[in-house]
Amino acid sequence: MAEYKAIRVEKGSGGFGGPLTIQGTEKRNKVMYITGGGVAPDILPKIVELTGLEPVNGFKTSAPEDELALVIIDCGGTLRCGLYPKKRIPTININPVGKSGPLAQFITEDIYVSGVTNAQISPADGSVVPTEEAAPAAEEKKGGIDTTKKLSEQMAESGGKGNVLAKIGLGAGKVVATFNQAARDAVQTCITTLLPFMAFVSMLIGIINGTGFGTFFSGILQPLLGSIPGLLVLGIICSIPGLSAILGPGAVISQILGGIMGAEIAAGRISPHLALVGLFALNCHAACDFIPVGLGLAEAETETVEVGVVSVMYSRFATSWIRVLLAVVFSIGLYTV
Amino acid sequence: MDFLVKFASAFMGVFQLGGEQFMGWVTGIIPTILMLLVMMNAIIALIGDERIEVIAKVCTSNPILRYAVLPWLSAFMLGNPMALSMGKFMPEFYKPSYYASASYHCHTNSGIFPHINPSEILIYLGIAQGVTSLGLDATPLALRYMLVGFIANFISGWATDFTTALVQKQQGISLSKEIKSRA
Repeated sequence: MAEYKAIRVEKGSGGFGGPLTIQGTEKRNKVMYITGGGVAPDILPKIVELTGLEPVNGFKTSAPEDELALVIIDCGGTLRCGLYPKKRIPTININPVGKSGPLAQFITEDIYVSGVTNAQISPADGSVVPTEEAAPAAEEKKGGIDTTKKLSEQMAESGGKGNVLAKIGLGAGKVVATFNQAARDAVQTCITTLLPFMAFVSMLIGIINGTGFGTFFSGILQPLLGSIPGLLVLGIICSIPGLSAILGPGAVISQILGGIMGAEIAAGRISPHLALVGLFALNCHAACDFIPVGLGLAEAETETVEVGVVSVMYSRFATSWIRVLLAVVFSIGLYTV
Repeated sequence: MDFLVKFASAFMGVFQLGGEQFMGWVTGIIPTILMLLVMMNAIIALIGDERIEVIAKVCTSNPILRYAVLPWLSAFMLGNPMALSMGKFMPEFYKPSYYASASYHCHTNSGIFPHINPSEILIYLGIAQGVTSLGLDATPLALRYMLVGFIANFISGWATDFTTALVQKQQGISLSKEIKSRA
């Protein structure tokens, strides 16, 4: 234990969560970073020096989850920022992102801290919580479901088999509750992920169109977004191995280009006939930034991750032109005037 | 003074334009998406995750099931990113290929089924909104996006089998093609 020292990590400017106390143990002795397509984050050397944890590049390889004392990510607010908190592994996001994305509910102050730079990291003395003790808290969610089940079972028993009315009532109640929860989740999704992104891209489009920058900008993008060869080139460029991983996070760049292309279509500067080709071209590099995490979800072994990261990037590059050309073929008859 | 006034009104104009774009999206997109999300969330909750796992185990045997049927079903039922977890039923060798296909499926199907990937939906919606504002129906676009995706994602998944073999050779690693019996 002596070689692993505890550190205290606070949230940075605009950040969320924390402060976290990170303490490695004999078993949990690794810090994994999944940032910038495999580039080590600025805060890594300081963390390694202070804690004595072993750094692991999540893009090159992976480590068993139960050996991770800490994960460092640079998620823009869609997926990764919730994945490791969901698994109750302490997570540092170097981007200032709060509760966001489909897994927002798992992002809590006791397991997640964001906007972190070197200034927020300091050695901790005194009261130290080893990471393993944080684990049991993960169970809480199931409880609700089990209780309702028991309740409905109890009610069904007390109602007896003959009581059809009670059964119908229970069934209807369950369906209503399911829909109500579905609605709650749907509204939450709109608020946490859809609206913020729409606001962000809208403002960009406002700046592009309102400053006169738009004419200049579409002069550059027109040849790329406005013709089939241009879109083909765009698709191939975006899927170049390595570049594809950098362009990936949160599909931010694709979404901005999608918004811009739509605005250009609406303005009549790009033909709607190209809409389908555009969809495929803008997304050739989809999920290249996410390969290690995605393979982790599939419980892949370390070697599989090592091979898979390279392999998927290659295949994205190799098939990007096929995808765009397929879209060209299947665009025949689409919105032709 | 004139210059200042012009500058100020141009400055405000930028945000008004942005606001109009935002309102267009909010009133044009959000209501429909919200209703679809409610319905899909409810259907998925009623069917349950367990059943898809049963199907997943059957689907490992041949490429069409592996890279077309299963990823489509998983994307529909589990959405992004949990659709990717269905790869756990594959032999190690096929996991990257499944990932390649399933992650694309989380995009190409989102025109018709926005619940699959709501946080990255603006790629489709941005373009679709442009089409709609010309007075055209976006449904053919969504449908073609899914159908072409079905073919293209299969090709992308299958092609990964070959790149995986290639990378294996490069790195001197060999991954198992047999399904491990798991506890």
